[in-house]
Order: sequence, then structure tokens, then C-alpha cells
Amino acid sequence: MGVPFIAVRGLLHSDILKHRPDLLVKENPFNSGEPVVVAQPIRPDVAVFHAVQADRWGNVITPGHRDDLMMARAARWVIVTAEEIVENKLTRRDAGDDTFLPAIDVDVVAHVPLGAHPGGFGSLSEHDDRHCREYIAAAKGESSFSVYLERYVYGVHGHQEYLERVDAATRQAKG
Amino acid sequence: MQRLVRQRDDPMAQTVDYTPEELMAVVISREVRDYETVGVGAVSPIPAAGCILAEQLHVPHVTLIILDSEEYYPFPAGSSELHFLAQRGDLDLFFLSGIQFDRRGNFNLHVIGDYNAPSVRMAGAYGSAMLYYMAHRVILFRAEHTRRIFVEQVDFVTGAGVTPENIYREGGPALLVTPKAVLAWDKAAGEWILDRVQPGSSVEDIRQNTGFDLRVSPSVHMTTPPTIRELHVLRTVVKEKLARSYPDFAREKILTV
Repeated sequence: MGVPFIAVRGLLHSDILKHRPDLLVKENPFNSGEPVVVAQPIRPDVAVFHAVQADRWGNVITPGHRDDLMMARAARWVIVTAEEIVENKLTRRDAGDDTFLPAIDVDVVAHVPLGAHPGGFGSLSEHDDRHCREYIAAAKGESSFSVYLERYVYGVHGHQEYLERVDAATRQAKG
Repeated sequence: MQRLVRQRDDPMAQTVDYTPEELMAVVISREVRDYETVGVGAVSPIPAAGCILAEQLHVPHVTLIILDSEEYYPFPAGSSELHFLAQRGDLDLFFLSGIQFDRRGNFNLHVIGDYNAPSVRMAGAYGSAMLYYMAHRVILFRAEHTRRIFVEQVDFVTGAGVTPENIYREGGPALLVTPKAVLAWDKAAGEWILDRVQPGSSVEDIRQNTGFDLRVSPSVHMTTPPTIRELHVLRTVVKEKLARSYPDFAREKILTV
């Protein structure tokens, strides 16, 4: 929207206001005496999306009915990974029930099949509960988390090797 | 000691076992009114089950908006639209849970302990601090009724039960449903009161497991146990619809016929 701030209902007398300098209580200029919360816009430096399809111009289809377009427009830099890069130019009509991000709102597109892992991705792949449990267990301590990061983030060259390590861990867990 | 009065005995229902989640879903289903616009947020399988059950049994003209559901989510542009509907004052009923609740209707979805060094950090409010003020009625739910959850004062007020007169508020707390009790919001007094005792519990049991001094309504009574018809529809039609959004919950918490 590009507005300097926006008024929000509710939130008054919530402890959220004690910890969020971007939320202020002001008097409603159209109704004197009424306090109202105003919020500073969130302008992320980067937003990252995983898409069903993308084309070489940066047109993108993300799954389902979502707020992706709002988030893409809020961010200064938009990176999209996609299951598939298609040859033809994508249009709004190709999105059907899914969400269309036009090229003007997208900066970078990369081909990364299974890029949503360990998240599920519509009908294409299921949420990986086992890997999430491994992550949660590792995240409980500094040293176990370092081991996790070394195994799945710093110690792999690219997404393919990451997926191979996930597969190996899954096979090992199944015995 | 408070005497319990069983308002309506249903001898048939007494022969049927049900899970605490099924009981809560049935209790919630009875609170939904026809022609209402009802929203169910994320990670809320119990109210989702209750609302679909209500739609199947007694509120054919209800508008259900269930986040992440193919069948029950009508909006094209994501979850923001449910929030904007509530901000416009058009949401009649919504459901929230929490990690702590207190006597004054405050709920906590943020942290246990000090905010800057918490022992538990949750994902946060996600709109609940707006919805708690803007939905006409909010039913709180929690599948655990213990002193660690029902506390004298919440560690963090995500949404406040009581706010001054000059604050714009469409509604607020209405009921709090657990496997042991149904608490009703006393708006004049600004506190929860024990309204109904769930089957298998007692006033004593509830007060022992509540960390604040819970007032007992003079008209306190037993919840009417789930009927055979309610459980049958819950375990057939509702279970199947719910499994599309909550497969694990539908399989583990809702029994089969």
C-alpha cells in the first residue's frame, strides 16, 4: 500500500505493546478520546517464496490462496525458488486457484525441486514430520544445533546433497 | 459444598465412551447459533470439529470460515481476509486457545516466565489480540485443565479480558471450555465463573485444578453428555471432513463408529 502507518483494531492493554516500538497508541483523529493502535509498515529486506511454477521473466505461481502478493510487495528484494521453470510465459489465468505473482514484484527465480522441504508443498510433497522432529531435538542445545547446521546447511553443496542427507537419515531411522 | 444437579439425563449417552476432545467438540457445537458468521483459526481442530458438527446438526444457515480448509475457506487472498472481516465487526464467533488463562479473562499465547529470558516461547499472537476484541463472542478452549494453565495472573497478557469503556470493542470472552469445565464470562464482574461441570468431574475437582479462586455460579449444573446422535455424526461426516485439514487429530482423537 505504501502508507506511512496504518490503524489497527484491538491490541490495547495487551503486553504486546510493551515490546513493540513499531506499534503506538494514538488518539483516533476522527473520534476524540478514543485510543487506537497505529502500526509502522513492515518493510523486509528480502522475502523468499517457493513456487509451483516460474518463468524466465519472473512470473510465478505459488500454491493456494495466500497473502504472498502482499508479502512480496512489502519486501525490497524477492527471491523465488520453483519446482519447475516453464518455457512459456505465465499469466494470471494459468494460476487458477493458486496465487499469481507478476514479474514486476519478483527479482530472482531459481529452479529448486523439493525446495519447500521439510515443509509440505500442496499435493506435490508431504510435510516431513520426522525431519522436523530431528530439527526440534537438535535446536534444544547449542552443540546439537551446531551438529545439525554442519550436517544439513554448511556441510552440503546445494539442495540436492541436502536432500540426500535427509533421505539417508530417514532410512537410518526406519532401520 | 455445592450440589450438582443433572439437568437432563440421557441414559443412552451414558453407555457410550468418548474422548475429552470429542466432548469439547460437542459442547462447542451446541454454542453455535444459526445465521452466524463463525471463524476458526490455525491449529484449532477441536473448534473446527465442533463447528462442522453444528452445521450438520442444527445450524444449516451458518457461515463457517475455517483457515486452511479447502471446503470452508471462501476468501481468495489468504488469511488476512478473515482478520479484516473481524475488524469490520462482521465476525460473530471465534475460538482461541492459550498457554495460560487467568480469572480476569486474560490469555497468554507468548511466553512463560520473563519476556526477555522465557522458559517457553510460543509462536505469538497472530491476530488474536485483535480478534479477542473484535469478534462478537470468543470461546476459549484448552484440552488440559491444570494449575499450570489456570493461573492467578498470566505471565504475559496477549489479549485482555477487561478493558476500559473508551476502548473500541465489539465483543470478547464468552466461554472457556476444557475437559473438566465450562466457564462462563461474567461481564459485569469481569471474571470467569464456573457454569457447567463436564461428565466425570466435580466442582471440587475443578477448583482443585484451577490456580485462581474460581467463583461458582448459583445455577451450576452438569453438561448434558454427548448424545448418540451427536457422536455418530461427529464420527462419520465430521471426522471425514476434518481429516482433510487435521488427519492426525481426526484419526487419533475422534473414534470410529
